[in-house]
Amino acid sequence: MLVFDQVDYHYRREHPVLQQLSFEIHQGEFISIIGGNGSGKSTLAKLMNGLLQPREGQVKLEHLNTLNPDDLGRIRERVGLVFQNPDDQFITTSVLDEVVFGLENLRVPRDEMAHRVNKALQAVHMEDYAKAMPHQLSGGQKQRVAIAAVVAMEPSIMIFDEATSMLDPQGRRDILDVMHTLHQQGLTIIHITHHMEEILSADRVLLLSKGEMAFDGPPSALFSSVSITEHQLTLPFAVRLHQALGINAPLCVDWKETITSLWTMS
Amino acid sequence: MKDNIIWGQYINSDSSIHRLDPRTKLLSVLAFTLCCLTLQTFGGYVAATVLVGGQLLLSRVPVRKFFRGLQPILFILSFTFVYHLLVTQDGIESGAFVVWRILLLVSLASVLTLTTKPLDLAKGLEQLFKPLSRFGVPVEAFALMLMIAIRFIPTITQELDRILLAQKARGYDIKSTKGHRQVYAYLLLVVPLLITTIQRAEQLAMTIDARAYGNGKGRTTYRILKFTRMDHAAGGLMLAFVLLILYL
Amino acid sequence: MDYELNDVSVRINGEEILESISCTLQEGKWISIIGQTGAGKSTFAQVIKGLIPFYRGKYTHNRQPLPRDGKGKMKIVPQIGYVFQYPEHQIFESTVYKELTFAPKMKGESPERLEVALKMVMGQIGLSEKLLQENPFQLSGGLKRLVAIASVLIAEPELLILDEPTAGLDPVNRIALLKQLKAWQREKKRTVLFISHQLEDVAEYSDEVMIFKKGRLLAHLDANELFLQRTALMEQAGLPLPEPIQLLRMIEALSGRILEPASCREEDIMQQVRLAWQSRGLQNEG
Repeated sequence: MLVFDQVDYHYRREHPVLQQLSFEIHQGEFISIIGGNGSGKSTLAKLMNGLLQPREGQVKLEHLNTLNPDDLGRIRERVGLVFQNPDDQFITTSVLDEVVFGLENLRVPRDEMAHRVNKALQAVHMEDYAKAMPHQLSGGQKQRVAIAAVVAMEPSIMIFDEATSMLDPQGRRDILDVMHTLHQQGLTIIHITHHMEEILSADRVLLLSKGEMAFDGPPSALFSSVSITEHQLTLPFAVRLHQALGINAPLCVDWKETITSLWTMS
Repeated sequence: MKDNIIWGQYINSDSSIHRLDPRTKLLSVLAFTLCCLTLQTFGGYVAATVLVGGQLLLSRVPVRKFFRGLQPILFILSFTFVYHLLVTQDGIESGAFVVWRILLLVSLASVLTLTTKPLDLAKGLEQLFKPLSRFGVPVEAFALMLMIAIRFIPTITQELDRILLAQKARGYDIKSTKGHRQVYAYLLLVVPLLITTIQRAEQLAMTIDARAYGNGKGRTTYRILKFTRMDHAAGGLMLAFVLLILYL
Repeated sequence: MDYELNDVSVRINGEEILESISCTLQEGKWISIIGQTGAGKSTFAQVIKGLIPFYRGKYTHNRQPLPRDGKGKMKIVPQIGYVFQYPEHQIFESTVYKELTFAPKMKGESPERLEVALKMVMGQIGLSEKLLQENPFQLSGGLKRLVAIASVLIAEPELLILDEPTAGLDPVNRIALLKQLKAWQREKKRTVLFISHQLEDVAEYSDEVMIFKKGRLLAHLDANELFLQRTALMEQAGLPLPEPIQLLRMIEALSGRILEPASCREEDIMQQVRLAWQSRGLQNEG
């Protein structure tokens, strides 16, 4: 449904950020995008909902094209984006206003708003905080409000641009849980991260390296086909464990399952 | 400290004045200000004082808080008084009246800010100026700007605190430096603050865009300000009082 | 050097942020500070540096109470280096050289000594001298971070506070930075206070760990003791166990044996786990 066709992007001509990127994202996929600092991950996210426009090639969402200014509203309605810093994406002065903001922009009728707001806040377990102000919330809570603000707009694709990287372990787990719940409800999830542990549960991993696609496939195939450290990344613990113990079994989302089943098998 | 700024001077309570529509309060203050400028007679002053005093009582704002709010203008008041004393002929009298008038204005304005959240004020202003959008004035955009300003003052104050702390940790205390070093010290403060603020603004703009703001279709509003019977009554009373004062 | 807090409490805007903290920071140790957001980790570090006042308790440096200025206010402790979160945000000079030498120049350090200190820091932290004339704003995120940290190290602090120094860095940059800092700390026998949410890093690099919970110091203990023997403390603080420790626990449960790795570092744990793993068949048969 979301198609990148030969996309080039640069902020300054002599420093290309993304080069000749082509791929397709399908409805209902859970995709992890990984890559080191400066690999072009965040630029890619912004190209996806038309915050940036490709210099060459095109980005299309079904019949909509980010190069067409008339399509931008529709695209942003369908492709939601959650950023890294919870503080810089809290536009208004209360949780309720924050979730309402996007709905007002979409001209959602007033009667429908209350319902959508409630549903979105429930999805991120923040329904008790509707009246809270940003400085009364922790980073993780603010991030969940940002997610609710996007969820309320009822997008079909949600992009999380390093949305877990500024949070403590608890906050991170909460956000990951929300992402998986949304995925089960049928949303397409695109999770940009450099926490390698988080990519194992994805359907598909895209590895960006210096603006080029170095890998596109299931996480289990990533570590056998690419040398991860060459791309500024490290192996997740599960893979290190497989190597240390000489396990040949396919990679599980949770290494504990692998260990238990192999131990009892022997 | 953070609370202070977001709330302004707002005092959380549920008086009849708190419940009034911000537009009613804004218009009342405007009307009263205009009529204050025309105050001439002793009777007029007394009537105006009764009005302001009555509102203060109704607002149930603690007297202590109210007077603390007046402290900053004490200097201006005494300066005005002394100025009149020295310069004009019937010094004491004219000085007293001018001070009285300023006190009245400031008191009523305080009632407004003490009983209305900054965000509601912004909303009220937006609604009042809405008709102007027909003439191409971007009222909505200004309202968003105002809201963001209110929202981000505490965040930027925090940022400044953080930078001050970081500079202090590096051993530069602005207060203790002198001469050209002080210029440096301020540079140390301003450059990081500017850079982070600009980064913040860029990120915020991205977020606003990503949430489909300004897609050309206009917006709906969730919070609608509604005049209640209270507002009609209060507005009517205010009008009556203003007319009375003008008459006196 | 010896830093000692005795029953120190901090109140900010009427709210108790730190409550009766007592601890001693020993020379030459890498001490990690962990706890959930809002547990008081950063406030604690700022008290140590003398940036925020405490209303109760005593703080001594080498058995002497901290110096105060004429008005009785706290003064900062110049022997402590403090690397704030996202330290590159504080960069403001136009070349790396100017940025690194700014602090010592302000303090009136002689040019000769400055050159020596500069060379030393660059070498220790792995910054190439070619970088000196570059504009720091144009460097990559990882390098910018390194420059900002080097500008603190150049003052040769006897205690270095690192507040989430790896936030936002990719894994390769993160590990490289931690290794450089660890090497610096070992070689110079300095003390490091390391605030981090990355518990794997804490287990990997720490000598000691301080656990904070809601403004209180829950425990201050040897890292190996915490991760190998007293993991209940982590639960108490609402923190997950690092994955290698989880693995260790699991293998112990499966094999019914207590494993005794040399330390809580992943390499040592893996070694013990590997031995247990290889002998699992034999054990089951026997």
